[in-house]
Amino acid sequence: MKKNIIIKKIIFFAILIVIWQAVDLANIWPDNIFPSPYEVGEDLMYGISDGSLFYGIGTSMWRLAVGLVIAISGGMILGIFMARTETINQTIGSLVLGLQSIPSIAWVPLAILWFGLTDAGIIFVTSIGAIFAVTINTYSGVKNIDPNYLAAARNMGAKGNQLIINVLIPAAFPHMISGFKQGWAFAWRGVIGAELLFSFLGLGFLLNVGRQLNDVSEVIAVMLIIMGMGMLIDGFVFKKIEDRIMSRWGLR
Amino acid sequence: MSKLEAKNIVKYFNHDGHKLKALDGINLNVSDGEFVCLVGPSGCGKSTFLRIVAGLEIPDNGEILFDGKPIENTDPDRIMVFQEGALFPWLKVSDNVEFGLKMAGIPKNERTEISRRYLDMMQLTKFADSYTYQLSTGMKQRVAIARALVMDPGVLLMDEPFAALDTQTRNLLLVEMQLIWKVTKKTILFVTHNVAEATVLGTKVAIFKNRPSSIKKEITIDCSRPRHVEDQNLFKYHQQILNELKPEVNRDNHIEEKYHH
Ligand SMILES: Nc1ncnc2c1ncn2[C@@H]1O[C@H](COP(=O)(O)OP(=O)(O)O)[C@@H](O)[C@H]1O
Ligand SMILES: [Mg+2]
Repeated sequence: MKKNIIIKKIIFFAILIVIWQAVDLANIWPDNIFPSPYEVGEDLMYGISDGSLFYGIGTSMWRLAVGLVIAISGGMILGIFMARTETINQTIGSLVLGLQSIPSIAWVPLAILWFGLTDAGIIFVTSIGAIFAVTINTYSGVKNIDPNYLAAARNMGAKGNQLIINVLIPAAFPHMISGFKQGWAFAWRGVIGAELLFSFLGLGFLLNVGRQLNDVSEVIAVMLIIMGMGMLIDGFVFKKIEDRIMSRWGLR
Repeated sequence: MSKLEAKNIVKYFNHDGHKLKALDGINLNVSDGEFVCLVGPSGCGKSTFLRIVAGLEIPDNGEILFDGKPIENTDPDRIMVFQEGALFPWLKVSDNVEFGLKMAGIPKNERTEISRRYLDMMQLTKFADSYTYQLSTGMKQRVAIARALVMDPGVLLMDEPFAALDTQTRNLLLVEMQLIWKVTKKTILFVTHNVAEATVLGTKVAIFKNRPSSIKKEITIDCSRPRHVEDQNLFKYHQQILNELKPEVNRDNHIEEKYHH
């Protein structure tokens, strides 16, 4: 079954590369506009051997990680406050909904003015793009907790932070994990976009370098890396966590 | 002195803008070590009364004295076992059972020791490391009972804990529940809409009127234990309770009719 799916995927991508190669051989566009898979592969190998690609991946990943940690912890705190206090929900809650509609890229000018061309600026853009998705999902997760869980916990003497850590957060976790997933997707877009505009290291910066050098195959190579990293994190980090939570919580 | 003394408990709820009187002066005395079963038509306010005893709801009038002191809040000395168990799916069975002890700040090794005793009592030792989704409904209710007993509460409040069980599992738990009561000498308030269950378990059965409800009658069940659902000498009690309940249930139908025509 599972093997079957993998084989299908391999065949699909192989066909895609063959078509790509065929289009290249047809010579419709010049090579400096439409590179062959071989050239892109060459650029990939080159980036790997001189270490620039790994350095780019590493830089983007640590910015992403720091941004996500800030977004997840900040979003959880904000979401829990909103769910617990109606006034906060009615005031800050509506602001959150508004801010959520701003694309993370639109924060870049402000980040540059506030932080200059620094890591902090890029991390700011990354986390602000993700925090509101985490907030909103945490809020609805806490709102949807089975009231009997809370009654039972209170009855057994849980209160204050104890209640939040031992019951509120775990009970809302299945909802929160979709917030983390959305948050990660926004953060990934945010970090690459910010690096592109800041032009200060990372995968987004490499894209920019490729553009400035008119090196289309370099640009495509970096895009493939961005796609690959995204698929890897989606499939291996978030899907794994989600599957585990869902089966543990008896939701599947 | 009574362990628990409910004095004229009145409770209203808001229902689509208008006030609904759920409890209309509940008076009940429970002595230490008594096993009191509460029966009544569905929706009459049995759960509400139990939640008030637990401190999860505040009555609009009247008060309940527990060991002579008025109940104002929840307290681990009055532990509720919920209809659906309300077990925490993110915790192992053993951690569910230890939950209240952990909240009380008891160190891990002591918690393990105490919970092991109750896991053993409820025949859950094999399942200590399981998660709740791996358990049958009957097993889940055992965990819920163990989780309550671990707190060594002054009164155990049970809200239809066996309602969702199949007959076989229920009969087994009815026998075990009597044993637990005998061994632990707990005071128990047990809500059920199953008359047979009430007569098997209770030293006393309190019958609720229809809403707005008060307690219509208390019947002392004087039979040797362990009792079983088929025991001949429980039949006269069944009959007596059913006779008391009949007009309440009919009134229920009557109200429905009024609404529908
Ligand atoms: N939180 C609540 N809000 C509004 N109405 C409620 C609430 N809890 C209970 N009620 C109403 O109070 C009445 C008694 O409910 P309940 O105590 O659950 O009855 P029982 O347990 O005897 O079936 C019902 O009509 C129910 O709809
Ligand atoms: Mg009920």
